[in-house]
Amino acid sequence: MTSNTAIKVTNLTHTVTSNTGNLTILKGINMEIKESESVAIVGSSGSGKSTLLGLLAGLDVNTSGDILVYDQPFSGQSEEKRALIRGEHVGFVFQSFHLLPSLQAIENVMLPAELKGDKDARVKAEALLEKVGLSHRLTHYPRQLSGGEQQRVAIARAFASNPKILFADEPTGNLDEENGKLIIQLLFDLNRSQGTTLVMVTHDNELAKMCDRQLVMSAGQLTEKSL
Amino acid sequence: MSFTFRLMLRDLRSGDLLTLLLALIISVSTVTSIGLFIDRLQLSFEKESATLLAADRLVRSDDEISKDWVTKATDLNLQYAERTSFTTMMFANDALQLSQLSAVTDAYPLRGRFLVDDSLFGTGYNTIDIPQPGEVWVSSRLASLLNVDIGDQVEVGDTSLTIAKLLVRDPGSSTSAFAISPRAVMNMADVAATNVIIPGSRVRYSLLLAGDKAALDEYENWVTPQFNDSQRWRTPVQRGERIGDTIGRAESFLLLAGTLAVVMAGVAMALASARFVKRHLMQVAILKTLGATPKLLGKVFFQQLAVLFIVGSVLGLAIGWGIQEVIASILSGLMSTGLPEPSVIRLWLGAATGLISMLVFCLPLMSHLIKISPLSVLQPNARVELNSALIYVVGFMGIYGLMCIYTNGFLLPTIMTIAIAGIALFVAGIGWLAFKLGRSLTSGATSGWQIGLASLYRRLVPNLFQLLVFTLIIMLTLILIGIKSNLIADWQQQLPEDAPNHYLFNVQANQIESINSATDALNVPRSDWYPMVRGRVVSVNNESVQDLYPDERGEPELYERELNLTWSDTIGQGNTLVSGNFSAEGLSVEQEAAKEANLTLGDELSINIGGNLVTLPITSIRTVDWGSMQPNFYLILPRSVLQDYPANFVSSLFIDETSAQPFYKSMAQFPTVSILNVGDVLRQIQTIIGQLSKAIQLVLFCILSAGALVLLASVRSTLEERLEEGALLRVLGAKSALVRQALLVEFGALGFFAGLIAALGAEACLLGLQVFVFNSAPSFHPSLWLFGPAIGIGVITSIGLLASRKVLNVPPMHLLRDL
Ligand SMILES: Nc1ncnc2c1ncn2[C@@H]1O[C@H](COP(=O)(O)OP(=O)(O)OP(=O)(O)O)[C@@H](O)[C@H]1O
Ligand SMILES: [Mg+2]
Repeated sequence: MTSNTAIKVTNLTHTVTSNTGNLTILKGINMEIKESESVAIVGSSGSGKSTLLGLLAGLDVNTSGDILVYDQPFSGQSEEKRALIRGEHVGFVFQSFHLLPSLQAIENVMLPAELKGDKDARVKAEALLEKVGLSHRLTHYPRQLSGGEQQRVAIARAFASNPKILFADEPTGNLDEENGKLIIQLLFDLNRSQGTTLVMVTHDNELAKMCDRQLVMSAGQLTEKSL
Repeated sequence: MSFTFRLMLRDLRSGDLLTLLLALIISVSTVTSIGLFIDRLQLSFEKESATLLAADRLVRSDDEISKDWVTKATDLNLQYAERTSFTTMMFANDALQLSQLSAVTDAYPLRGRFLVDDSLFGTGYNTIDIPQPGEVWVSSRLASLLNVDIGDQVEVGDTSLTIAKLLVRDPGSSTSAFAISPRAVMNMADVAATNVIIPGSRVRYSLLLAGDKAALDEYENWVTPQFNDSQRWRTPVQRGERIGDTIGRAESFLLLAGTLAVVMAGVAMALASARFVKRHLMQVAILKTLGATPKLLGKVFFQQLAVLFIVGSVLGLAIGWGIQEVIASILSGLMSTGLPEPSVIRLWLGAATGLISMLVFCLPLMSHLIKISPLSVLQPNARVELNSALIYVVGFMGIYGLMCIYTNGFLLPTIMTIAIAGIALFVAGIGWLAFKLGRSLTSGATSGWQIGLASLYRRLVPNLFQLLVFTLIIMLTLILIGIKSNLIADWQQQLPEDAPNHYLFNVQANQIESINSATDALNVPRSDWYPMVRGRVVSVNNESVQDLYPDERGEPELYERELNLTWSDTIGQGNTLVSGNFSAEGLSVEQEAAKEANLTLGDELSINIGGNLVTLPITSIRTVDWGSMQPNFYLILPRSVLQDYPANFVSSLFIDETSAQPFYKSMAQFPTVSILNVGDVLRQIQTIIGQLSKAIQLVLFCILSAGALVLLASVRSTLEERLEEGALLRVLGAKSALVRQALLVEFGALGFFAGLIAALGAEACLLGLQVFVFNSAPSFHPSLWLFGPAIGIGVITSIGLLASRKVLNVPPMHLLRDL
């Protein structure tokens, strides 16, 4: 298997302005993530993990340095263009699920395909929900589902657009051990079966260990954790 | 089905879109129903008043009406009729009587009906006919003076006519209010044969017109430039006439009410949009992470707004039409002529309200929504704060614009906008102080009281905003109620049930005694007798009136016609001195007339009295109480000037249904005395006032319902937070009673402050409106100070508790899960 570079980061710095002045969250980060790799980003709270994830996914624009996703730069792109790249390459799973409360489970999963104008959105969504074991809860609203079930819907939604990279920010943070395990299982299964690159922020050591690589974030700097 | 619509349909289920739609429907339907209703009322007043003129418009002339003018009327598809009025002697057997004769064409009257009877002094029935050629209808008074009855012959000039009916009321008679001789009506075809109209005789020709307003306006523009000195264009509601005043004030009120409805509608839309945006921020951020581009989101929301606008406007217009029909049908029993259909064009007002509301309240918020950074999903503190200042400014301008469109002017909207802005500042200041004070009184939240007061300060900004909304709505309510009762009381005071409805003119000094005993015998209330001399103002400060008003346009009533002058040593009953000295050797002028002619103390008027020119300075200005039983005079002169002129006397009487017949009969002994019956005009005014009072109450009711809905929307907008808090308190072990007490205190305090400030604001606004808009005397309204806080506490706590009853009854687990 030739391993292409999925993400390449050079000298990434990120500074935000808050009411107490400028705050540099990320201080010169360099890294590279290969296609189909699974990477865990660990580190103490407030060290800048979520910030990095957001920048890698093009949710925000970094202050300086370069991020290349499949050789396409995010920096210097309009929000319009970044959104298109996100829709094309990227999937998300969040700690707090972030399902649209007014949509049923199936409708939440259909969204990414619908945004692309895909006609088979519903069929695909049904198949995905089946895969995460929720084929009997299609028309339920998020508030009618447990946290674990909501996160499974979120995973189904994340894979609905066949993303090349899946970002997850503490996907098990709000779940008990059993549900957490189920979610991790799902993520890795899909990572393997579809060759999706997995970038995941976590506090869970067990989970981090399951990844191919672990990167440690500390005071805005990233180091590889030697195994 | 496109993505937009699928998203919309799904969103509809969540209720947020529905709230917005509901607010839009309320806005559009309130404005539509009030707009249409005002339109119908206006049309109805025009129609009612037209019956007093017997036409929609009238050309009055001392010369024969030119054939061209008639042709032009037919060209413009106007209905027309002609009337020729003249004073002539009528003979029957040995009796003769100077009388006022009107000859009319077939179409007369274009508006209203003749009231006739078959027996002397009967009360009359309506007829659409006019006298046939060879016939004449005479008033009972004329008949009794000539000692004739139905079927008898009377001679008019060279012809003789048969009395076919007894005339009770001629619909056009009120316009010739000073034609006070006994009246008769005949067919135009017989005029030539009478040979009474010869060059030099005093004849008044009228061309009556009715039809489409646009055509009437066109006709006016065409005909008035051709007028000579004697010709006048008459409209049903003439400036300065009391009925015009009444309708004018009612229109001001309805307009104001409508404007306030616009403001409330604006607030409702703003609240609903803000709620929509708040609840959709995270959703939009999520959609962005899923690859939705700003362009796509822009398209989606724009299409959603468009659909919302179309659905909301159509439903709003339909509902508005329906409500207006309901109001009209409730009122229809009171209307003597029935309400005219509303004009469909007026619907644009509702549609414009919908469109502008969407543009100013939804669009800016929505465009904000689209700008939210997708990072919010990871970093809640990266969430963009709404740039609320700009949004408030746009919203404010939107409401102002709507009010301008609605009132078709800038004065009222400007006054109201400044007032609202002032109140907003005031509310913010006072509220902040009060909430702060409330918190400092409550250290350690243990009782419901303390929790309630503390939460006021904790959610300072939303609570201040809510306080402002509550205050505005209660204030608007109080203002409307205040104006309503003011207006109605004012009208009733102006026109008491027993306002004088008859005037006796041409009474000689030696007849007074016997007339007094006749009226006393009938128990008819009568005013004092006033001597009366006729005179005409010819110059002002040595400038001739003709030079001042060469084409007679804008000529004040004081100069326009010959006036009745009187003298009096003391200022009469019902007159109040405004300035100057009444007993000085000079003129006393009625205030309104002086204002119209721009006269002040010291100005000199020259008056032509029986060929002599008298020049006098104005030494006093007084108001007259039109409701008093006195005949009222614009000008009162010193006794020394007038006492040598031959005078006759005038008095006013109130004659009710039962005394009418015996009164007319007894007056037959005084054939030279002229009786002017203004009862019809008065009755008309009283009917209109009755309608107006009812109409105003109904409109008020509608607006208050809209206001209650806005209050509900505003309580709902902070409901999530309250629910969350209540649930948390209960999870932490608080009893329902405690949570309820806290909510009660919070809402009660909000309501109390809102009511108090609203009372203050309403009092100020009422004073301003009384002085500047309604031109009535300013007065103080103590009841506001009671009602304001009472409404505030009562309504807001009940709405609040109703809306948040979930907090108290539902298990807290459900609530926390729902959030
Ligand atoms: N837009 C912003 N404005 C101000 N401060 C910010 C902003 N974004 C992030 N921060 C701050 O930067 C720091 C890093 O935030 P980040 O969310 O990346 O941490 P994290 O490593 O994900 O922490 P956790 O493990 O608790 O989620 C925090 O102190 C955060 O408050
Ligand atoms: Mg984080």
